[in-house]
Amino acid sequence: MHFLDQPPRHLFFTGKGGVGKTSIACATAVQLAAAGKRVLLVSTDPASNVGQVFGEHIGNQITAIPAVPKLSALEIDPQAAAQAYRDRIVGPVRGVLPDAVVKGIEEQLSGACTTEIAAFDEFTALLVNATLTADYEHIVFDTAPTGHTIRLLQLPGAWSGFLEAGKGDASCLGPLAGLEKQRTQYQAAVAALADPQRTRLVLVARAQRATLHEVARTHHELAAIGLTQQYLVINGVLSLETTEHDPLAVAIQQREQSALAAMPQTLQALPCDQIALKPFNLVGLAALRQLLTTTIPSNDAEAINLPTQLDAPALSSLVDAIAVDGHGLVMLMGKGGVGKTTLAAAIAVDLALRGLPVHLTTSDPAAHLAETLEGSLPNLIVSRIDPHAETERYRKHILNTKGARLDAEGRALLEEDLRSPCTEEIAVFQAFSRIIREAGKQFVIMDTAPTGHTLLLLDATGAYHRDVTRQMGATSLHYTTPMMQLQDPKQTKVLIATLAETTPVLEAANLQTDLRRAGIEPWAWIINNSVAAAQPTSALLRQRAYNELPEIQQVATRHAQRYAVVPLLQQEPVGINRLRDLGGHRHRDGEVEGGATASRAENSIDTSPLYGNT
Amino acid sequence: MPTIQIFDPALCCSTGVCGVDVDQTLVNFAADLNWAKQNGAQIERFNLAQQPLNFAENTTVKAFLERSGQEALPLILVDGEVAMAGRYPNRTELARWAGMTDARNEQNKSPCCSGPC
Repeated sequence: MHFLDQPPRHLFFTGKGGVGKTSIACATAVQLAAAGKRVLLVSTDPASNVGQVFGEHIGNQITAIPAVPKLSALEIDPQAAAQAYRDRIVGPVRGVLPDAVVKGIEEQLSGACTTEIAAFDEFTALLVNATLTADYEHIVFDTAPTGHTIRLLQLPGAWSGFLEAGKGDASCLGPLAGLEKQRTQYQAAVAALADPQRTRLVLVARAQRATLHEVARTHHELAAIGLTQQYLVINGVLSLETTEHDPLAVAIQQREQSALAAMPQTLQALPCDQIALKPFNLVGLAALRQLLTTTIPSNDAEAINLPTQLDAPALSSLVDAIAVDGHGLVMLMGKGGVGKTTLAAAIAVDLALRGLPVHLTTSDPAAHLAETLEGSLPNLIVSRIDPHAETERYRKHILNTKGARLDAEGRALLEEDLRSPCTEEIAVFQAFSRIIREAGKQFVIMDTAPTGHTLLLLDATGAYHRDVTRQMGATSLHYTTPMMQLQDPKQTKVLIATLAETTPVLEAANLQTDLRRAGIEPWAWIINNSVAAAQPTSALLRQRAYNELPEIQQVATRHAQRYAVVPLLQQEPVGINRLRDLGGHRHRDGEVEGGATASRAENSIDTSPLYGNT
Repeated sequence: MPTIQIFDPALCCSTGVCGVDVDQTLVNFAADLNWAKQNGAQIERFNLAQQPLNFAENTTVKAFLERSGQEALPLILVDGEVAMAGRYPNRTELARWAGMTDARNEQNKSPCCSGPC
């Protein structure tokens, strides 16, 4: 493995959620520890699961992993970091200032900026605090999904620039009351990140066209802020010798190889490793030790007892129930990389083909919706909330309206503040609320951003709700806030998208818990890219299909009110026909494959065995 | 030179751009404050959300909060005495407190109309 060759002190793994950053970071840490190095493994992912991988509770403290000598791990939970920060600020005045005042302060410190800044603060200490990390020769960071990671890494540069400009108060960076004092620390963190002697960045991707394009964008963005020493790892590659004439395996293998051949030029220049798709889930030490090896233990395809047809509802059965209302908001939620964009497009296409008016839109910073939906239908409007463009528009709007009468100095100060990380959150949120208002007269299908980001958006929605309520006061005006619309099952259906693998199901369950806390009850779950639903014949894919069964069972019986399983297709679901196939519609005779199970999907919980006797 | 202290309500940031909508008053005041500082005024600004301890430790401010609540903020102290409450000062007021007499700056404080006067 190139990326493991003479590694510097800091190793960062970045990439879209679900590509295997955590597993590779864990395997790397285990391998370095096995080579006699003292290693600290750090997870900054808002949905960290490093603890789960090692079967050990870790949390926000450096914890030794008993099973692996010389390895310690730490999970930075951004929410917990924000809470600790709030306690630090609010604690001393609790009981001193009036209770209402203290509550108001806490609410102000519950926003997106506080969470980001608090998480970053901890992250910085690990890069520059020699005493904290003196015991370790390597620090392996399993970072958050791409967009979040970039923002996180961009922050030190932005902050240093801000402070050096020395214009007025560090207003938007104010949540860091102690920022000025820590200025040198932030500068040192930037220096550590940009120093190839100390830091190596490993981009993790899958052999998929859209994913590789996204990684290329990440590469540019990170290179632009000084992280030039980058490596590329393509995870989960299906090797030719394991395809065994299985049409699905052959199709996947070919698709992956053509995606790799068409890899963006900038990526081709990077040192690159491929990690073969393994027949096992990457949980536990034994599995981790095998991840970075090239040999694959092969099984006998026939020996894997996999019944012929998966008895689970198809996506079209969910669409049947959605279509009944004639309008409404449908939101796909889930970790990045589970295929929310594709599923949203499939649902939109299915509804539009039924003659219903549909607006498909996305706020995913990593969206490739336009690439996924090649073609158009008369009832279907497709739009994209481009976070970058929205932020620009918002900045311009503020400068032209609120900033119109300011002098040059005042304008510069306002511009400075509009460069804050909060600005993007607000801009995207505003664009988002504009579109969801349309859901009263038509279908609005939204593919939202990855988990952490989604939750931040919801948090913003909630804050907005409280704000509006406060401003309206006791007046009996009729009003609906976006948050109220999201909480109303008559207006909004939240669909949780996941994969039939341990970690994604766990993450989706966590997301569901968070949504419930926000007063939102998910309407259904969709298990995407299921190998079990695709009836594979090769040993490798059959083993993976077999591993999926208990996960699907978990979703069906424990997590979901109703659910659907979407098979992994031989061809990428691009264009109207293939998106339609995704829903379980049969092309040839127009018969709906999911029809038989549609009624079951209407029931609250499906406890029937996954496989029938057919 | 007198010290001007501004005690803000709980703001995400001092220009207010982090709110759901940008408050024009805050935008203007941030610019006025910056102008006054550039002209040598001694001004400290405290945000209730970020520096609550400064509110708690000042008996005048603490008593004000107990009597009138955070809705009554901002509170402006000049040399420790209440100079204004409930709204932000303009450039003239800032200049008076700071003891500035530069008439040229006074004229620049805000345009009287959008076109040439």
